[in-house]
Amino acid sequence: MTTTIPAGSADDGPIARLAGINKWYGAFHALRDVDLAVAPGERIVICGPSGSGKSTLVRTVNLLEPFQQGHLRVCGVDVAANAITRAARNAINRRVAMVFQQFNLFPHMTVLQNLTVGPVFGARAGRAEAADLAHHYLQRVGLTDQAHKHPAQLSGGQQQRVAIARALCTRPRLVLFDEPTASLDPEMVNEVLQTMETLAAEGMTMIVVTHEMGFARRVADRVVFMDQGQIVEMAPPEAFFDRPQSPRLTAFLGRVLTH
Amino acid sequence: MHMTHFVRQHLLAPRNAPVVAVPALVRCRRALFPTAATSTLSVVVLAALIVFGWRFAEWAIVHAHWTGTSSEACTGDTGACWAFVIARWKPWLVGDYPAGELWRPWTCFAAFALFWTWVVRRPHSASLARVLPGFLILPVAFFLLLVGGGPLPVVAPTRWGGLLLTLVVTLATFATALPLGLCLALGRRSRLPVVSGLCTAFVEGIRSVPLLALLFIAATLLPMFLPAGFSIDLFARAVIAFALFNAALAAEVFRGGLQSVGRGQREAATTVGLSDFAALRLIVLPQAVTVVVPALVNIMIAVIKETTLLSVIGVNDLLGAVEIGAKSPAWMGPSNILTSGYVFLALVYLSVCYGLSRYSRRLEAQR
Repeated sequence: MTTTIPAGSADDGPIARLAGINKWYGAFHALRDVDLAVAPGERIVICGPSGSGKSTLVRTVNLLEPFQQGHLRVCGVDVAANAITRAARNAINRRVAMVFQQFNLFPHMTVLQNLTVGPVFGARAGRAEAADLAHHYLQRVGLTDQAHKHPAQLSGGQQQRVAIARALCTRPRLVLFDEPTASLDPEMVNEVLQTMETLAAEGMTMIVVTHEMGFARRVADRVVFMDQGQIVEMAPPEAFFDRPQSPRLTAFLGRVLTH
Repeated sequence: MHMTHFVRQHLLAPRNAPVVAVPALVRCRRALFPTAATSTLSVVVLAALIVFGWRFAEWAIVHAHWTGTSSEACTGDTGACWAFVIARWKPWLVGDYPAGELWRPWTCFAAFALFWTWVVRRPHSASLARVLPGFLILPVAFFLLLVGGGPLPVVAPTRWGGLLLTLVVTLATFATALPLGLCLALGRRSRLPVVSGLCTAFVEGIRSVPLLALLFIAATLLPMFLPAGFSIDLFARAVIAFALFNAALAAEVFRGGLQSVGRGQREAATTVGLSDFAALRLIVLPQAVTVVVPALVNIMIAVIKETTLLSVIGVNDLLGAVEIGAKSPAWMGPSNILTSGYVFLALVYLSVCYGLSRYSRRLEAQR
């Protein structure tokens, strides 16, 4: 196993396309007319102040969050607002993987079982094949010797690397990262970012919500700035960080880049 | 003050914590007589314990009657009549089970003792999946063995009694109440309002009715709902009432367990491609059940004690056997016979349930 680049989609269009997405939590308008298209192999970093809808946006892509207006098409699966079927959600989640802020590893399973449960019981892969794949990705994230431990026996950084390996084991065409380093101790942030950068260098399509601006500058093809549930600015990293156009982004960058 | 730049030249190796040895007498004095008021309280309580303990010992040991086959052996009211308990060992253990077929109850007791020893000795971290089938298979196997049929003579459940009945009813209740309770707990979370409404109504309804009333309803009303010509015996009706009641209790326990598994677990299961059912079976349930095992053991303790209610509807359990024994011609007479029976009954339940509650504590500590 040398290549992890997913095969190109049948229609060769964007892997994910969100059109006019609107979402409310009760009366709170959480996402407002969000349009976003993600091409195969593209790395998108989303940033913005807390409560701006970044997490809600990535969680909409794999239908963890329902939405009330708009339309999305992810890996060839079309979903209209208020018409989210279980079948559509399962179809999308078999092609899209996610890494969470709180890791969300399965605590009652070993690392190896965490990695194989999806392929074996979701994608109906053979156990031996799934175990091979798991060992391959464990080696990739540098945790070969931890396969038979339980998540609680690992450090936060190791847990998040296991979570990344678990995401890759489903052979995804798109990986969503929801603030993957936000709950890690500072000394563990780099090992996780490093793993993500390697993954990006291999051509994986990624949408990353993060406050790590250095990572965004090094890795992103496009950086998206969100505020109050809407995309306020979107540009390649040089333009985004060096020539911000909107006063909101300028103010935000001023707050996060000074230290 | 001048602040110097401190640099440690050699890192310290870890050392053992100091051990403080307090003499037993000092520890005892600190625990019992720290102040004047608590000292007085300690003295009063200890004195009361000694007085009542001595009186009980006098009744239970010094003046007790140990041998004999009828109430003749227990003259006078000052001592316990253990002869009554010893002579009637069979009703306590197996009820009216035919003497020639006693190997069957003995097999059940032995099988359960072996199973329970294995359950208690295995580490809690090992998979529950290997324990739970035992609780489903054993009661069915015991029931079939005890009823008989084929080469074995049939022994109707009306002839079972005593501890045997307690064991079989407890296990049968568990085997039916736990799966039913789990289904009810899952049903309450259903997105279909009909299913969740029905399950909620059932749980809340059953929980709000006394078990004794349920038992009477099962004993008298249930036959009227069954088709003509189809009758089930009192034993089965009692087990049904027990199962329904404890299913409602178990449903609440399971509901708490399911709630303890965070939303993130379900979401992670979805994102690795598991269906809702697979996520429930592989991710949510194993964690939820592990959390509630101590609470389930507590339900088991309650079920064991509730089996004494069976005597009220005429099933010959341990309590029924004591009362029937005290009314038998050979043991009519002094009231200390019935009292001895009750004390014996209490000691039996105490030892069984205390053992179980110790086990439950250990499970909680291991979590």
